[in-house]
Amino acid sequence: MIDEEFERIFKRIREVEKRIREYMEDEIRKTMRSIREELAFAEGLFRPMWNHEGHLRPLFSINDRGSYYEILIDLPKADEKTIDVRFQGNLMFLRAKLKEEIAFSDISGKGGETKFYEYREVIELPIVVDPNKVRIDIRKGIIRVLIYK
Amino acid sequence: MEIYREEWIGDFVLIEYKPIQLQRPSYAIISLPDTGLVSVISATHILKSLKLEEVAGIDSYTYFPPVAVISNKILRSPIRIFTGNNLLVIYTEFMLPTPGLIQLAKILIDYLERKGVEYILLPSGLPVQNRFELEQLRTYYLATSPKALELVKNVEVIPFENGLLAGPYALLLKEFSRAKLNALLLLTESFLEFPDPEAAARSIDMISRIMGVAIDVKELIEQAELIRIRARDVMKNTLRGLAQMRKDMEYTVPLHT
Repeated sequence: MIDEEFERIFKRIREVEKRIREYMEDEIRKTMRSIREELAFAEGLFRPMWNHEGHLRPLFSINDRGSYYEILIDLPKADEKTIDVRFQGNLMFLRAKLKEEIAFSDISGKGGETKFYEYREVIELPIVVDPNKVRIDIRKGIIRVLIYK
Repeated sequence: MEIYREEWIGDFVLIEYKPIQLQRPSYAIISLPDTGLVSVISATHILKSLKLEEVAGIDSYTYFPPVAVISNKILRSPIRIFTGNNLLVIYTEFMLPTPGLIQLAKILIDYLERKGVEYILLPSGLPVQNRFELEQLRTYYLATSPKALELVKNVEVIPFENGLLAGPYALLLKEFSRAKLNALLLLTESFLEFPDPEAAARSIDMISRIMGVAIDVKELIEQAELIRIRARDVMKNTLRGLAQMRKDMEYTVPLHT
């Protein structure tokens, strides 16, 4: 009788312990994700969208659409025939040549000798990519990459 | 830069370079960075097309980072005010934090009333998940008064019936409604995270019909790709502010309608 009672109490303790652990893990995961996002933003703040070697960095977004991830990349003035997307682990490497060279003064209103001829970016993805589960569409200078889970 | 009048209101300073006289019916367009920079791109094109003159500015040492805006070798304020005929455009590319935006809304209410503005147009973007596939963009509207509602009588816009709005225009709309101003929010379907000149062109088309003024968007469409490149930095900065304003709530489906 006493044994049964102890067993019941221990079982209850183990359940509570499991719930606390799951809650803590979930909270840690959320905090870590938020810290990573903050760090990525802070890093991006001081990282210009261009460099003097003639490369532009594109705007991009990563959205979880349930059964797949949708990655949109804005590539205005890119020559669509030259768009090159490659995957390695959870990284996506993107390169695309511009249809024509663009001078820094054209986009900034400031002076400067720099001319841009290419987009380059490395995008960190939330999952390791199986290239067989990827679909890429291009429309009006925007690439849509669908990565199925 | 000659200053005609300077006025401190709370944490903001309003600087006028010359007196402002609007013809009637008078309109104001308020352009703040938001979804797809629809508002900012629209206003930039309108300023150029209608050759509006810069007549005033608003600055704040509390709510703006220490920035100086230089335009054609002249020092300007982060919030710039342009006018011509019956139109006043209030334009900024900088995101204000919410407390600053609340104060700015109250300042604008007072300022627009003093200038005798009859209608306020608030053009912005409405983020849609399938924007990548969309060819025909729709524009939705919300009016704060029956008089503002009259503006859309013969215009191809759809009433925004149910849903949530988040961001700077949600706040302005609430404040303008409380102040009983005739404000009209125009929301054109657009990308959230990319500058969207196509959506801006659609928005300008609606403004042009509402005001009865011809504004050609051909050049805007032709220059769309270059505008998208130029607007990348403003877009990047805007996204950070929109995330803090919980812009994602616009995707939320309300339980009670």
